[in-house]
Amino acid sequence: MSVGNPRHQRHVSLRILLAGLAALIMILPFVIMLSTSFKPQTFVLEMPPELIPSEPTTRNYREAWSGNSFAKYFANSLYVALSTTFVVLLLSSMMAYAFARFDFLGKRIVFVVLLAGLMIPGIITIVPAFVLAKNLNLLDSLNGLTVFYSGGMVAFMTFLLRGFFEKIPLALDEAMTIDGAGPVRRFFHLYLPLSRPALATAAIFTFLGAWDEFVWALTVINDPEKRTLPVAIAALQGQRATEWGLVFAASAIAVIPVIVVYVFAQRQFIAGVTAGAVKD
Amino acid sequence: MTMRRSSALAAALGLPLLLAACGTGGSGAQSSTEELPAGQKVEGEITFWHAYSEGGPEVTTLEEEVIPAFEKAHPGTEVKPVTVQYDQLHQKLVTAAAGESLPDVVRSDIIWVPELADLGVLVPLDQAMPDFEKLAEQTYDGPLATNKWQDSYYGLPLTTNTKVMLYNEQALDEAGVGVPETFDDLRASAPKVAETGNYLLAEADAAGWQVLPYIWSNGGDITDEDITTSDGYLNGPKSVEAVELLVDLYEQQALPKLILGGGGGTNTFEGLANGMYATIVDGPWAFPIIEGQFKDFEMKTAPMPHGDGESTSVVGGENLVITQASENKQLAAEFTRYMLSEEAQLAMAEAGQISVLESLSDKMVEIEPSYEEYMNQLQTARPRPPTPAWTKIDEIIRKQVQLAVRGDMTAQEAMDEAVAQIDPLLERG
Amino acid sequence: MAATATTTGPASPEVAAPAPAPRDSRKRRRESLTAYVFLLPGFALFCLIVAYPLARSFQISLYDWAVVPTQASRFIGLENYARGLADEQFWLSMANAGVYLLVTVPGQLVIGLALAVLLDAKMPARGLFRVLFYVPVITSWVVVALVFKYLFNTDAGVVNWLLVDVLHVADANIAWLQSRWPGLMAVSILGVWKGVGWAMVIFLAALTGVRDDLKEAAALDGAGAWDRFVHVSLPAIRKTLLFVTVLLVIGGFNVFISVLLMTGGGPAGSTEVPLTYMYRQAFDFLDFGYAAALSFLLAIVIMLVSYSQFRLFGGDEKEVD
Repeated sequence: MSVGNPRHQRHVSLRILLAGLAALIMILPFVIMLSTSFKPQTFVLEMPPELIPSEPTTRNYREAWSGNSFAKYFANSLYVALSTTFVVLLLSSMMAYAFARFDFLGKRIVFVVLLAGLMIPGIITIVPAFVLAKNLNLLDSLNGLTVFYSGGMVAFMTFLLRGFFEKIPLALDEAMTIDGAGPVRRFFHLYLPLSRPALATAAIFTFLGAWDEFVWALTVINDPEKRTLPVAIAALQGQRATEWGLVFAASAIAVIPVIVVYVFAQRQFIAGVTAGAVKD
Repeated sequence: MTMRRSSALAAALGLPLLLAACGTGGSGAQSSTEELPAGQKVEGEITFWHAYSEGGPEVTTLEEEVIPAFEKAHPGTEVKPVTVQYDQLHQKLVTAAAGESLPDVVRSDIIWVPELADLGVLVPLDQAMPDFEKLAEQTYDGPLATNKWQDSYYGLPLTTNTKVMLYNEQALDEAGVGVPETFDDLRASAPKVAETGNYLLAEADAAGWQVLPYIWSNGGDITDEDITTSDGYLNGPKSVEAVELLVDLYEQQALPKLILGGGGGTNTFEGLANGMYATIVDGPWAFPIIEGQFKDFEMKTAPMPHGDGESTSVVGGENLVITQASENKQLAAEFTRYMLSEEAQLAMAEAGQISVLESLSDKMVEIEPSYEEYMNQLQTARPRPPTPAWTKIDEIIRKQVQLAVRGDMTAQEAMDEAVAQIDPLLERG
Repeated sequence: MAATATTTGPASPEVAAPAPAPRDSRKRRRESLTAYVFLLPGFALFCLIVAYPLARSFQISLYDWAVVPTQASRFIGLENYARGLADEQFWLSMANAGVYLLVTVPGQLVIGLALAVLLDAKMPARGLFRVLFYVPVITSWVVVALVFKYLFNTDAGVVNWLLVDVLHVADANIAWLQSRWPGLMAVSILGVWKGVGWAMVIFLAALTGVRDDLKEAAALDGAGAWDRFVHVSLPAIRKTLLFVTVLLVIGGFNVFISVLLMTGGGPAGSTEVPLTYMYRQAFDFLDFGYAAALSFLLAIVIMLVSYSQFRLFGGDEKEVD
């Protein structure tokens, strides 16, 4: 089929139209969120809704950023998300390597234990986890969040990376071994560099998981100085009246950086998902 | 440090529950009540959890006026205030109790004190503070009584409040009805207001806080005096009649769906301000919020309407409690004393909190004229039954009333079912 | 937290590792040792943070558990489980989760697949569309739940405005979050909207792997686009379909924050889902033993459903250990 063919072109236009329509629906809630965040009158919902505010203001953003210390919450979330990503990538790639390229006693058991951990809703362990956090002196601490998020995500990322590691040709591994490279060197100089897309994917998932987590942070963080973004945003929803403009300004502060990061990383990400998902 | 690590290790190794409980147990000594006399030299640091609304005048006054004044009077001390959203405070307290990580002092909703006391995490203040009598005497009896569980007092009242009827005069005028004083007035006005497209009365939920005033004001009750049974009380004719009032109003479209819970309804303050709800029943905090958000609306107050009984509203408020986990109970007690002083109570009253000190009762109306209706209503207002099972009972009442309002069952059936669920909880104590 | 990860990521639960060639036992032992070194830090953390609390949670489920460690807990065996099985409200919450699954799983599968097919062929702005469809996936549940709560507001929500004032398909405002079925619908719509991008990305990846020569051969045989899709592409991505379905089902059972923030389980508990109910038992009523038992009942249901999906649709290939 040549590109110049009119039938083909009509086809492409139709596709773009459909995709555009779908995209519109997908982003409409965000558009409304953003539009509300720039509106001055924030308690009463106006009817009919206007998409472009008649008197746009950045007051909500200023109030969220400085008045409600969202700058601080942003930094907290960033710290937790980055440190979790680092810990999870390191530990899960090591585990994935062990699973993908070694045979060892108890492999099956360890594997099943990890898998079982994935099947059960994480929220059910919240009380024993809380007591554990207390005993480890990790309550009300950002590093505590990192430790628990990492523990919670390491199994899943191990599965993700293992599939990728297995596809790295054994021949390369053997060639390096013959050259005298030990397992550690092979891990750092063969497996990690060749798994960049998978690592990027795991990094995105881990980062997002830590950035967005709500329930555990709500449970263990008391000090307002140590709140993360989701906790702080939920706290803005008042008991008796919600200042929607403020809530959405704060939400935008939480969402936009994630989108930016995703846009930049998405090429790697797509490659990673493709490698992980295509196995038919 | 080593101790902590070893107990962490024990926990990590999964020692049996009870063993582990013993291992970490050192601090929960219910029997040893430390003496906390007044006028001791205090120093160090305490943490204070409260649910004063963030961003409002309450937190500002607390953090910029009250606590600094206390710290100035007691050099070398530091009070660390932690704001917890009201919705989350109960959960936070529970988890912290489970993890033995409660703060030193808590401003607790009056309804949680029996529950926390029953868990053994609170210091019995009447035994620990030699001057407890003296402090308690200055406060109103009603709020004080909410601190009692079994034979001890586990806290001191900090603030009190109640609910009165708040109305939008314009919305009532539009329907050609007066301010409802009785249940009959409510029934008579309902169709007229409904005709204008507005609602006569809005309730944001159907828990005890909302429903009990109707039951009491109709001469009904929840339980017997000793709180041993609800049979014959909650499902008695007077109580059921009160619930039927709500059901009828709902059916006549005079009471909005808001009472059923869920989300997305117009909240009571907004609805009242724009006339969609002609009346609501709410507390004194309504004034600063409405003034802040709806500048053109002038809210008026009236007593809680009544049926066969006297107009009776529900007592709300907060108590100060000191936890067993506190490592600086002397300072915690001293801070509690200060919070009950006229100085601190007046400052908080300016920020919207009605004082519990009888000596300040005249001053309250001077500070805020809108308090007058509340002070009157407080004369007859009653507390919710003090029992550790209250959160559960509250949930049962909420659900059963909602089922009746929704028309899933009659008010009588709903209340009978509520009694069947509540009585086993009361038996357990 | 494990659950959060499960719902956000595509992993391949393909298990059967290539069996390494048999080697002599000394080498094998050394290899085992190396593997343990790589395995240990991650597995130890997992055991501490996930496995230990899980075991402990099971233990709690057998007790009338006292919240405070200084009070004695009473061992009651399986009583909490029996109570759960007889608890109507719990089964109502399971039924609600079932409704949520019935809407969101097919919804995400069909729309996700449609979008993937749409973007599979070459077209302008493909990358842009891919990002736009994926944005809801990367946005936190707290934010999207609040946005949807705002959209579905009864008296002043955009959805009702569209339905009543613009499209005239409804006469009066629908009390979306104040009634059971509309409430479940609103929560489900959010679920679909948030999840389609994820399904799309995975399907897109799988479709890219469908060999072009197969499609071309089918085209030469005179098969239309639809036929080619049904007879070539769909069978080729069957395993991915199964895998996505299983993860969506697990994710659906774990619906929590959206319900908590949008309806709070109301009105009258009618939109309660298992996790909100469990959460309430634990943190409102301090009934941790019961909450733990409910969570294991839920876990059993999830495992049974996942297992039967593999049995029913997985063919005879071994997919999960």
